Amino acid sequence: MRARLAAVGRAVAFVALALVLCGAIFEVAGFSAPDMFAAILDGAFLSDGALAHDLRWACPLFVSATGVVIAFRCGYFNVGTQGQFYLGGIGAAVAVAGLPGWPPLLVTVAALLLGTLFGALWAFWPGWLRIRSGTDEVITTLMGNFIAGLLLVWVTSGPLKDPSGSGQVTASRPVPLPIRISSDTGVSPAILGLTVAVGALVWVLVNRTAFGVLGGLAGRNPVMVTWQGARLSRLGLGAFLLSGATAGLAGAMEVLGPDGRLVSGFSPAEGFTAVLIALVANLSVTGSVIVALFFGGLASASLYLPVIAGLPSAAIDMVNAAIALFITSRAWPSRFRPARFRLRRASR
Amino acid sequence: MEATGSRAHGGDGVAGAGEAALACTGLTIRFGDFTALADVTLSLAPRRIHAVCGQNGAGKTSFARACAGLIAPADGAIAISGRPLRAGQVADARAAGVELVHQSFALPPSFTVAEAMEFGLTGRAGAIYTRRGLQARWAGHLRALGVEAKPSARIRDLPVETQQAVEIARALAGEARILILDEPTAVLSPTATEALFARLRRLRDTGVTILIILHKIREVLAVADTVTVLRGGRLVAGPEDAGSVTSDSLARAIIGAPLRPAADAAADAAAGSVSRDDASEDLAALVGAATPHGMSRHPETATRRVAELAGVSTRPATDGQRLDAVDLVVRAGEILGIAGVEGNGQRPLVEALAGLVPLARGAVALDEADVTALSLAERRRRGLRIIPFERNTEGLSLSSPLWENFAARSLLGRSALALIDPKRLRGEAEAAFATWDVRYGSVENPARSLSGGNAQKVILAREIDAEARLIIMAQPTRGLDLGATAFVWQAMREARARGLGLILISSDLDELFDISDRVVVLQGGRVAGRFDPPYDLAAVGAAMVGGDH
Amino acid sequence: MIELIVAVLRTATPMIYVAMAGVLAQRAGIWNLGLEGLMITGACAGVVLTEQTGSVAAGLAGAVLFSVLLSALLWLVIEKLRANPIIAGLGLTGLGLGGTDLAVQAVYGSEGAVTAPVGIPTLGPAFGQFGLLDVLILAMPFMVFALWVLLRRTRFGLRLAACGEHPFAARSVGADPARMRLIALLLGGMLAGLGGAELSLGGLQIFSVGMTAGRGFMAFAAVIFGAGHPVGATFAALFFALVEFMGIKAQLVFGERAPRDFVLMLPYLATVLGIWISARLRGGVPLNTIELRDG
Repeated sequence: MRARLAAVGRAVAFVALALVLCGAIFEVAGFSAPDMFAAILDGAFLSDGALAHDLRWACPLFVSATGVVIAFRCGYFNVGTQGQFYLGGIGAAVAVAGLPGWPPLLVTVAALLLGTLFGALWAFWPGWLRIRSGTDEVITTLMGNFIAGLLLVWVTSGPLKDPSGSGQVTASRPVPLPIRISSDTGVSPAILGLTVAVGALVWVLVNRTAFGVLGGLAGRNPVMVTWQGARLSRLGLGAFLLSGATAGLAGAMEVLGPDGRLVSGFSPAEGFTAVLIALVANLSVTGSVIVALFFGGLASASLYLPVIAGLPSAAIDMVNAAIALFITSRAWPSRFRPARFRLRRASR
Repeated sequence: MEATGSRAHGGDGVAGAGEAALACTGLTIRFGDFTALADVTLSLAPRRIHAVCGQNGAGKTSFARACAGLIAPADGAIAISGRPLRAGQVADARAAGVELVHQSFALPPSFTVAEAMEFGLTGRAGAIYTRRGLQARWAGHLRALGVEAKPSARIRDLPVETQQAVEIARALAGEARILILDEPTAVLSPTATEALFARLRRLRDTGVTILIILHKIREVLAVADTVTVLRGGRLVAGPEDAGSVTSDSLARAIIGAPLRPAADAAADAAAGSVSRDDASEDLAALVGAATPHGMSRHPETATRRVAELAGVSTRPATDGQRLDAVDLVVRAGEILGIAGVEGNGQRPLVEALAGLVPLARGAVALDEADVTALSLAERRRRGLRIIPFERNTEGLSLSSPLWENFAARSLLGRSALALIDPKRLRGEAEAAFATWDVRYGSVENPARSLSGGNAQKVILAREIDAEARLIIMAQPTRGLDLGATAFVWQAMREARARGLGLILISSDLDELFDISDRVVVLQGGRVAGRFDPPYDLAAVGAAMVGGDH
Repeated sequence: MIELIVAVLRTATPMIYVAMAGVLAQRAGIWNLGLEGLMITGACAGVVLTEQTGSVAAGLAGAVLFSVLLSALLWLVIEKLRANPIIAGLGLTGLGLGGTDLAVQAVYGSEGAVTAPVGIPTLGPAFGQFGLLDVLILAMPFMVFALWVLLRRTRFGLRLAACGEHPFAARSVGADPARMRLIALLLGGMLAGLGGAELSLGGLQIFSVGMTAGRGFMAFAAVIFGAGHPVGATFAALFFALVEFMGIKAQLVFGERAPRDFVLMLPYLATVLGIWISARLRGGVPLNTIELRDG
């Protein structure tokens, strides 16, 4: 319990440090840091309806983050959540377009499933390359994000293009209302139910199955579980597939829910933020719930800032990035630690 | 600082006239709460070979590293030839002529020999060299020191004794006046050890002061001019003239009590079922005071072959190790000792038994059933248990909770999606740890919170269960203190008594001779000799280096 | 043919400078995934400062300065706070992408592209098609050679490699791995800043938000494909640029039959192919040992 409290304290401290760094950068760039933070706070949590907006962003973010929790726990740096999320969106849109005239409920289920499947497949190939030939998954999944982004552009401007659409942003035809799982507000029993169900399932998987415990061991020390007789390739591929599946489901939820159609370049910060949520929550599913609400707030603030406060939404990207910079820190600056202690680590 | 020489135990005029080559006063080293070295004051005369000995954990390595500037002492001072050394400054120590050769060598494996010689040099680092020029520059130096390694060879391709010779040559590349060697014999065969000692004597005669850390009394008496003993981080004796110590008195100093009574005490403390003879031999083996002539304990009715390798060959691993047509049989109720210089096929042997490397030829059987095509998981199901070479990487996940480390083996027997009950698993771990006398805080604590001996007990608790048939123990006592070592040996004897088969791989011949029912020597991946007690050290040593036996 | 050489050199050079920063970090034992952030920072600072002062020299100096500052920040976080280099690097990238966006809005009040009045000096029309090459492109081979000499033919290079491969060995001969890594990152910061500036100031003299589009990550992949060797990484970057050029050519030739989006994917696919090949050549041993693990 004390260890858990310490982990929470540590996370809070490094988030605070990140905010200080951001404040300094805001000041250098010529913005007033207090005003900026006040506006962010306002947009995220205090303004009217802010909490509903938080929830709208937090739900898909949480679902994506559970996938990151699975992969990172097993020791695989799947940073391709964004691409897997896009593929999930594409899968859902394909199902919607491909099953005209089917009962709406069936289409919804099929769209969610196809989105999940597409997301899993988009995580499969980096996982396969990693496990079969040791190809570094950080690069492959990052490249996968760019490729998926272009695929999304092609799909929305080609096969699934909405002919009536105009302007710069390309998109698919709107998803018919009966098929959607929420209105534009993005908060509905269906979405909340899905989110809770995914959270519960992943919690059980991580904490109450052999896969969860062995995966955690493998993530911290793959050599040891190999000597215990585990097949890392199976554990690893499972982790990749599950992680891609949740991201894909989140993408499908986005398309069938608040977005209501497949838009080129939708939710561009989803993957990065999901990784952050998992890391800030110290790879815990329950922790991710609270952290997702926090980052959901930031996500809604990034829409609020330019419209209401007239400030650039890039400020939110900065806050996220600065948190990423610090959140994995395992030490305080050396002044706060006895020097001898460090020497021992280094000399081991 | 001037007082150093006179305050030190100069006994027998060892530090006598002239300035001490190396002197320390009140040297104290702490790692967190742990005191590795406490208030050590001594002074070492120049142009001698000084042995520092003690058990594992006596503070020998910390002492060596502090002298070389790698560790900043918490307190105390070190002076080289009368000049004080700034604490924790390697560059300072090297400028004063102190060079350290590490126990596990500190040369980047991808470097060529010439590069390894060059990278440590002090002075202008920006000068441009050519590859050929560099090799030519160092070829002469290597030849002069009698090191048989091509300057263009990669470190990782060299045998351990050559790597060590290169590291010594590296240390002597500059103006080394004090050479410190940290347990240099741990990886060497008896012959290579003899060659090393000859080399050190030659160096001494050219004016180098040598500080050698050893834990075998036999070796201390063979090479040292003076002897210093550390115990539990404290200086207990020395430096004394090596001529005035006997192996008995030295053993007493190292262990901290007279040999015979200590054996009795240890027998009472550590062993319920182990006989007094065992325990006293164990103690002798621990400090290498003598080679015990192990009682022949031929298994009586044990005819069941729990493990069998038939003509097993493997392809060379990345470090060049392989097995070459190895035939081995382990019977129920016996301990088969595997001797050999490190890197002569021990690791491939374990991996072949575990099914972690594909076999080029041959077959592996467990409990008289062929398992050549089976995975490790399946072999474990048939009773194979492994205490791997590297306790902290292969045996345990240091950052994982103890109960997860313990539960890993049983979890692998289940389907991945089977639901588990963490509370029950924790309970099972607690029960097993109680049986094995593991000292721990909570099963939720990470494995890194345990001492080496307790960590090894966790592995023993996991691997020696009711279904075990064959236990492979790879270097099971390395780095353990006296009590923990005795505990591991007792566990092995008890497992043998229960009719399990055991394979003990050790680089410590005393340990092997003490406990094994038979000893097989591996050399170059082949079986180079098979021995029964009483063991003949010379014959085993010859087999280890590919001699005539 | 000349067109191909010139085009590939122009595309590859920014990536090569950035890849050299990656090589330096790699030799010192740091996986620098912040390269993308350093590159965009260099690109932005180069154009904005050139536009503000009218001097390319000021632009280049600014690009180098900001990139070096960010590198120092990365060093602080990795070495002093012992953060995971991969995540911290990605954070640095995010900081670069977000920070440049913010900076452009702070200076110009909008998110549009910024155009610099002058670019990096080129050879000029006197040299025909080669006239498009600018000084940074021409200096590139010399820079790579110099880095090769530094890393592979000096004791400094050996010590840096020792810090990456066996920090304890480096420490026991008196080299301080943390300090060597700082040197490697700062030197790399300079090169990455120049690479970014070449990207924006070298060709169209335009900076637009997010214009690196993963080139920094590709430069990182070039480091791995090139096995951490300066020359190897250079050829890897040239290969990625060649693939990109071929894609554009293919589109000109085949038109609609080669959809634009798929052509744009080619460099990313080539990157995946590249690091897959290098993994096979290494014998399937994963490169990175993840920091969240034991140890």
